[in-house]
Amino acid sequence: MSEKKTVKKQTRPTKQPLRLYERFHWTQRVEHVLLLTSFSILGITGLPQKFSTTGWAQAMIQFFGGIETTRLIHHVCAIVLMFLAIYHILDIGYKIFVHRTRLSMLPGIQDLKDALQAFVYNLGLTKKRPQMGRYTFEEKAEYWALIWGTVIMGFTGFMMWNPITTARFLPGEIIPASKAAHGGEALLAVMAIVVWHMYGVHLKRFNKAMFTGRQTEEEMLHEHPLELADIKAGIAGRPVDLKTLRKRKAIYYPVASVVAIAMLFGVYGFISSEKTAITTLLPISNPVPIYVPQTPTPIPTTAASAVPSGSLTWDASIGVLFQSKCAMCHNATLPTNGLSLDSYANAMRGASDGPVIVPGDAHNSKLVVIQSAGGHPGQLSPYEVELVNNWINTGALEK
Amino acid sequence: MRKFFARHRLKLVITILGFGLVVVALAGLVRPAAASPTPVPVQNPFQAPGGAPDNAACLYCHEKPGMTRTLPSGDTLTLTIDSSHFAGSAHQDIACSECHSNIDTFPHPDLQVQTSREFSMQMYTVCQKCHEEQYNKTLDSVHMRAVAAGNTNAAICTDCHNPHTQPVITGQNGALLPVTRLGIPETCARCHSAIYDTYKQSVHGAALTQEGNTDVPTCIDCHGVHNIVDPTTNAFRLQSPQICAKCHTDPTIMDKYGIPTQVLNTYVADFHGTTVTLFEKTTPDQATNKPVCFDCHGVHDIKRVDDPVYGLQMKQNILLVCQRCHLDATTNFPDAWMSHYIPSPTHYPIVYYVNLFYKFFIPAVIGSMGIFVISDLARRLIERRKGAKHV
Repeated sequence: MSEKKTVKKQTRPTKQPLRLYERFHWTQRVEHVLLLTSFSILGITGLPQKFSTTGWAQAMIQFFGGIETTRLIHHVCAIVLMFLAIYHILDIGYKIFVHRTRLSMLPGIQDLKDALQAFVYNLGLTKKRPQMGRYTFEEKAEYWALIWGTVIMGFTGFMMWNPITTARFLPGEIIPASKAAHGGEALLAVMAIVVWHMYGVHLKRFNKAMFTGRQTEEEMLHEHPLELADIKAGIAGRPVDLKTLRKRKAIYYPVASVVAIAMLFGVYGFISSEKTAITTLLPISNPVPIYVPQTPTPIPTTAASAVPSGSLTWDASIGVLFQSKCAMCHNATLPTNGLSLDSYANAMRGASDGPVIVPGDAHNSKLVVIQSAGGHPGQLSPYEVELVNNWINTGALEK
Repeated sequence: MRKFFARHRLKLVITILGFGLVVVALAGLVRPAAASPTPVPVQNPFQAPGGAPDNAACLYCHEKPGMTRTLPSGDTLTLTIDSSHFAGSAHQDIACSECHSNIDTFPHPDLQVQTSREFSMQMYTVCQKCHEEQYNKTLDSVHMRAVAAGNTNAAICTDCHNPHTQPVITGQNGALLPVTRLGIPETCARCHSAIYDTYKQSVHGAALTQEGNTDVPTCIDCHGVHNIVDPTTNAFRLQSPQICAKCHTDPTIMDKYGIPTQVLNTYVADFHGTTVTLFEKTTPDQATNKPVCFDCHGVHDIKRVDDPVYGLQMKQNILLVCQRCHLDATTNFPDAWMSHYIPSPTHYPIVYYVNLFYKFFIPAVIGSMGIFVISDLARRLIERRKGAKHV
């Protein structure tokens, strides 16, 4: 950086024109910005999906607004990348067909040799650096890695986006396999960008050519000496005469339009050909009514009357009945309300406020009145009340 | 006289104070007796002389069979307590009057209820006196919410735990006794009998009800107890895989039956499971149609995967399951889901080999790049030290 500044300071006062060479046309620079934007967003929305069980991934997904929004952002950027790919194909076609531009990005044996020589040079085994043309082996490696990656991501992405369509023609297993490849390729691409691209154009020297579009002669000489030589020799970009140009355009534009429309239809199909799943909530598959009470818990059946089936006298039946049902509270020790029903004599004496049994008149006997009303703690059954009733009406005999 | 007072002032003061103290103390001794109501002439039948509960007094009447009371609605309220059951119950040492605290006289106060349900609804709140933790848990439960919304059919404490017969249900370690676990579905079946009938047919229910196997879940293992939540909520749906995972990722249970424990991991690794897990973590109330365990395996009617009729191992069965959401799915489609398998050369080999490829390809590519980058950086640093430009 400091070196460059001194260069500028030296050149400006002397007013020597700094010779600049166009490296990237503005359309290429725009392409690059769109690519780096979509690539980065695809990466930061995709990798958390690959590692979704980890805390950092979950934090990122939450930051993007949840997994569905994360997927939506990822899909939108994928569409941007698809448009970019279509544009790139058409642009390359135009350059090759209309301008007959040299295929300077094509890799060759020379690139392998250059790479090897660069490595050997780095190791200090040779003093000679490789002399390279418009695109160095580093740039070609990155470009073709991007092409390879985009193709893989496109195909595997399609299969995940359209699993039903895919499974019509291919085994279903190809869909999880696509997911595996998509994730693996993504990891590879992001790491390659970090290691190769970041080092190559940011770290080792911040190469601004992709943003300014130009390089100085000095930079050209150092990085692309063969291209500089071609430019100086006037054989780099030979201009095509206008007539030929017009003729070629007349052929290329219609063909390119058809290709473009076909590819755009492809993208449209990619996005919308399949309705993978329902968007409504699932109905319950096998609905069972929730509240279906069993037959009410059986109540213990009323026990048979404790009344011995003897004659209707105190000793034969009524005394036993009173003993079992009343004497708990109405006994000599605990004569509730003064009433004790544990013996004939006590029963006939009655309660503290008077007799409860009026022999011969059950209707006016308080005991019958209370029992007939129901709800008395030691409640007699209707049958038992009937017995007591009859006993009193027949004189409430002891024997 | 003045002299006398002056001389004996201290003695006098002490004497007066002493008298005062004695009077106050005597008054204190006497006051409780004086303040108590006129002594009842007879022994209270509900209180034994020592003050200990005398349930025998209550049972003297209440164990007589057939004691009932007809309520205004026509309901019959059973008043008989089977003393043999009560004596063996968890509450055998509790006085009747602990719960029936409004009954301390005879005759008993009138029942102010129309129906027997109304009586239960009045009574169940006394459970909190001793079982506060459990009672408070129920307050948030689906049953208590239903009660609060006016549904008197919803279960209250006493519907599941008959207070007069409730046996002890936990062992020394506080865990439920096996015999208790065996009986749980029948308890729930009192109200949810249709679900119980379905459950009995399921792999879990059949094992419990036919084989007495207590490894399998009863109702409460999935729905909880006391704080039973509404299982139709979004939150329950999102949490449900963790419920199944409690047992299905536990090798001590699963190894007995040869069931793999990777079922949760493989589910979470797939689209559906990833989405559900993330929803659960980030937006626990999110509605989703992404399947959870029970969407494919069933809820109360869970079958073995190798069930000859319903088993999901059969492709046509799993396709039907897929088609519930993926309406256009065809024969190959179910293989898009790896059926809880971890890819291997025998199961889902394409996926296995793709993973294997990247396992080696990524380190190879990035490693080579790294080596070159390091060599380049080292060379540049060396050249820069030598004072070279353009390094």
